[in-house]
Amino acid sequence: MSTRYGMVIDLDRCTGCGACMIACAAENNVPSLPQATARTGLTPMLVRRVSNGMEGQARREVFVPILCMHCEHETPCVSVCPQQAVELDKGTGIVMQMPQRCLGCRYCMTACPYHARYFNWWDPAWPKGMEKSLNPGVAVRMRGVVEKCNLCHARLHSAEEKAAAAGKREIDPADYVPACVEACPTAAIQFGNLADKDDPVSRAANSSDAFRFLERIGTEPKVYYKSGETWVKALKESVSGVEVKRG
Amino acid sequence: MKITRRDLLVWSAGATAGLVFTPVPYKLLGDLSIWTQNFPWIPQPAHGPVDVKESSCTLCPNGCGMRVRMAAGWPVGVAGARTNPVSRGALCPLGFAAHQLNWHPLRLRTVRHRGQASSWEEARTAFSKACAEGPIVIIDGYPGRAASQHFENFVQKQHGVYRVVLGAESRALTPYEKWSGVPAAALGYDLENARTIVSFGAPLLDGWSTPGRFTRLWAERAAGMAEPQLRLIQIEPSLSRTAARAWQWLAIRSGGQAAFAAGIARVMLEEHLVRASGPMPALTLAESAQQSGISPDAIRDLARMIVAQSPAVAIADDDDPAIAALNVVLGAVGTSGGIVQRTKRAKSYLSAEPVIPSARAVLIDSTVPWDFVPQTDAEVFRFGAWEGGPNKADWLLPAPGFMEELTDIPTAPTSAVETYAVAPRLVKAPPEVQSAVQFLGQADPDLMPVDKIIHTRCENLFRARTGTLCAQQTTPVATIPSVEKLEEQLRNGAVWMGEPQHPGGVRCKLSDWPQATRSECPPCDSLASWRAPVLPPLASKLYQESSLREESDRRNA
Amino acid sequence: MNARRNAVVFGLGLATALLAGWLAFPRALYTRQNQPLAFLHKTHAGKSGYAECGQCHALREDGTFGGIPSLDTCTSCHSERMGTSADEAVLVDAYVKTGQEVPWLIYSRQPANVWFSHAIHVRRANLACTECHSTYGESDQVRIYEKNRISGYSRDIWGHSISRIHFSGRHDGMKMNDCEDCHRRHQVQVGCLGCHQ
Repeated sequence: MSTRYGMVIDLDRCTGCGACMIACAAENNVPSLPQATARTGLTPMLVRRVSNGMEGQARREVFVPILCMHCEHETPCVSVCPQQAVELDKGTGIVMQMPQRCLGCRYCMTACPYHARYFNWWDPAWPKGMEKSLNPGVAVRMRGVVEKCNLCHARLHSAEEKAAAAGKREIDPADYVPACVEACPTAAIQFGNLADKDDPVSRAANSSDAFRFLERIGTEPKVYYKSGETWVKALKESVSGVEVKRG
Repeated sequence: MKITRRDLLVWSAGATAGLVFTPVPYKLLGDLSIWTQNFPWIPQPAHGPVDVKESSCTLCPNGCGMRVRMAAGWPVGVAGARTNPVSRGALCPLGFAAHQLNWHPLRLRTVRHRGQASSWEEARTAFSKACAEGPIVIIDGYPGRAASQHFENFVQKQHGVYRVVLGAESRALTPYEKWSGVPAAALGYDLENARTIVSFGAPLLDGWSTPGRFTRLWAERAAGMAEPQLRLIQIEPSLSRTAARAWQWLAIRSGGQAAFAAGIARVMLEEHLVRASGPMPALTLAESAQQSGISPDAIRDLARMIVAQSPAVAIADDDDPAIAALNVVLGAVGTSGGIVQRTKRAKSYLSAEPVIPSARAVLIDSTVPWDFVPQTDAEVFRFGAWEGGPNKADWLLPAPGFMEELTDIPTAPTSAVETYAVAPRLVKAPPEVQSAVQFLGQADPDLMPVDKIIHTRCENLFRARTGTLCAQQTTPVATIPSVEKLEEQLRNGAVWMGEPQHPGGVRCKLSDWPQATRSECPPCDSLASWRAPVLPPLASKLYQESSLREESDRRNA
Repeated sequence: MNARRNAVVFGLGLATALLAGWLAFPRALYTRQNQPLAFLHKTHAGKSGYAECGQCHALREDGTFGGIPSLDTCTSCHSERMGTSADEAVLVDAYVKTGQEVPWLIYSRQPANVWFSHAIHVRRANLACTECHSTYGESDQVRIYEKNRISGYSRDIWGHSISRIHFSGRHDGMKMNDCEDCHRRHQVQVGCLGCHQ
């Protein structure tokens, strides 16, 4: 059976706490630089706050976690990279970004319809001693390269290694849980194999409440969203609706 | 033969041509490019065997279960512990970056006396002198720990005073203590059996109590459901995170909470929707509507709905007595789904004032919020692991940071069942660091150390033979063979959970509707329980590198 | 002006460059360092019955590779001096007694962004240790550690042969090409992140 890792994010459950954002940054050795802003920051998982545009009691808001959608069809970033630094893995369906191969042209950032790619404007730096807390499973990048969500590949590595040591051919799905999925306090983010019809995530992706952003452009993203609310479902025609920006 | 300049040039031409046929240019180019991949200022993670330790977070009194990945002896990742019966595998957002806190640039590493570098020796001398001259006050921000017991033992011997600074969640339970005599520390909310929760600004989905407890409950019973099993009604002026996801949000006028609670209570009493006969609020329905900004019809509808969908309980974000009175009228005190007493053995932390005037010295534990300023002229000994900004303390004493000392985890303030856990020391503390407990232990070596207090508590748990030990498996305490085994499991991350108590028993005596005593409070839209004066550096993802949270929500840090 | 003289001088230049490039350059490019002490595999394999590489270079339970064993493995026998060799004296005095780990120089250390799983190659692919690490496990000498002055990596990674032409047919080098060659031969396809992190 083939493997196509994907997610279903329940927007009715997301409370916008941001635990997924921080867990992702911690897992992937993403630095927090004092000069970074909302425009130049590095957030491979980013939760956007979106409203229905109304004010007063009629106002409604929803929180939309945006990450790399791991586009299955004519993956835009893969098609534009001059370095072949990003590739759609045939074995897992993960769109794999290799920051060490990247030359920093940022063509992929322009190509990504979901704005899910981020540039290392500066060399990463941590306060003295904090480098001891870096995750050894993920290489640290340098300035001048683009990075994005790799579906916590370090965790897939650990799961594969564990399976190999135990003599098994397949990993135990419980061993491979991306950081954002593990962190979510309402279990809004579900992760699984979309190619497996019995996988609950696969079933959720096929439900009537499920949708994908910008489906009309045909990139076949593997990150699905679901909501029971009509106004939320209508957001799919844009990248992620109108973002609330406070003054 | 004379060597000419031409010879040199021809020789060089030959050498250049030759070089092309050697590995030199290609290898040099290749190696140089590899060199550019390894600039020395880019830090590299340490490699070593990876170990996973189970523990509990100590950064706020909610004590979420935590799994810490350690590599080469240092924590490299934190996740929630699914085996914890209260937090159920969740952590607050800041918890995921907490393992980096100990290297925060504002980490306190040296003793300071009025801004100048000093030493533990001098601090001890000053403290001993103060102890001899007059009463000592010890202020604790996280009561119920073994360390808290140590503080109380010390003040008892020294004829001093032990005071507690309560968090908002504990403060919200103090009205019930005043009216029933049952200590607030013995009370909790039985959320699991509630069908309607009316939250007056309490950030239930965003930093209230143990994050996993309510978020998981709400996700399972309410999220996205047209007919939820649990209705969350959020009453607050602006659309907070909790309000955005609530079943219903009522945008009341700022400061109108007490009036709104009064209005609901009035409708319930006038229409005989509840069994209680009083106390009747002083405000009329029209006044309540005007002050809260919600129409009388809406107030009536809400009151009727709450009663129809009971058990219901109101949760305040602070000690507003009007909301507590609403619970009394609603019959939500001492009943299933409401405010319950979870233990018969708890202390009262209510006291008239936090510092007694004749105090000679005040010792403030590192668990007390940095913005707490004692109203006193006494010498202030402030323990803290991080610098929180300007403060009145005479002595700044560097305390252990995250996971740097053995401590225990008493029940979270709003829990409906008693729990107990132990957080072992997982990380070596910097050399200059000492906890308040160690400091007092040097002033009085006869005091029982924290280690022994924890052991005594384990003994008590073992002897009581009630409750279960939650780890990979759940084991009834009655089946555990020895105290040693129980303590060993607790020190390895197991959590003891008591049995739910019968809800009846808390009876509030309230003859008159309380006067509004609470001043207008800014909305609690964020991680209100967080105690440390600094946020983990990765918090910038939420406050600075995205528009997810506002800078103004970023208390103190 | 003398064409023959020019040709000779040109030829001399050519010869100098070729000699320098093929002989002097490889020697100059690499530093030569000794290991902190001379650990002899043959001694341990022979006398102490450690016949299997995996007895010291073990796979942990979670599948990660233990690499060069830590001091615990040594102290299981060498908590005190067992023999008369000077190197053992160094081990016991400088490391066992002080509790410091021996700072071994690792010949096959890969860059930080490489993920190589011993568990997958040894257990699943059934590769013998000697496939990549040759017969070092049987040697009665300790190999000198040569480090590339510019890239910082051990000479084992590029391979001993500076041209990467392997005359003996023996496996030499641990660059990405070497991994790819073997993967191609065994027809095992993995994506980028299958070996990188």
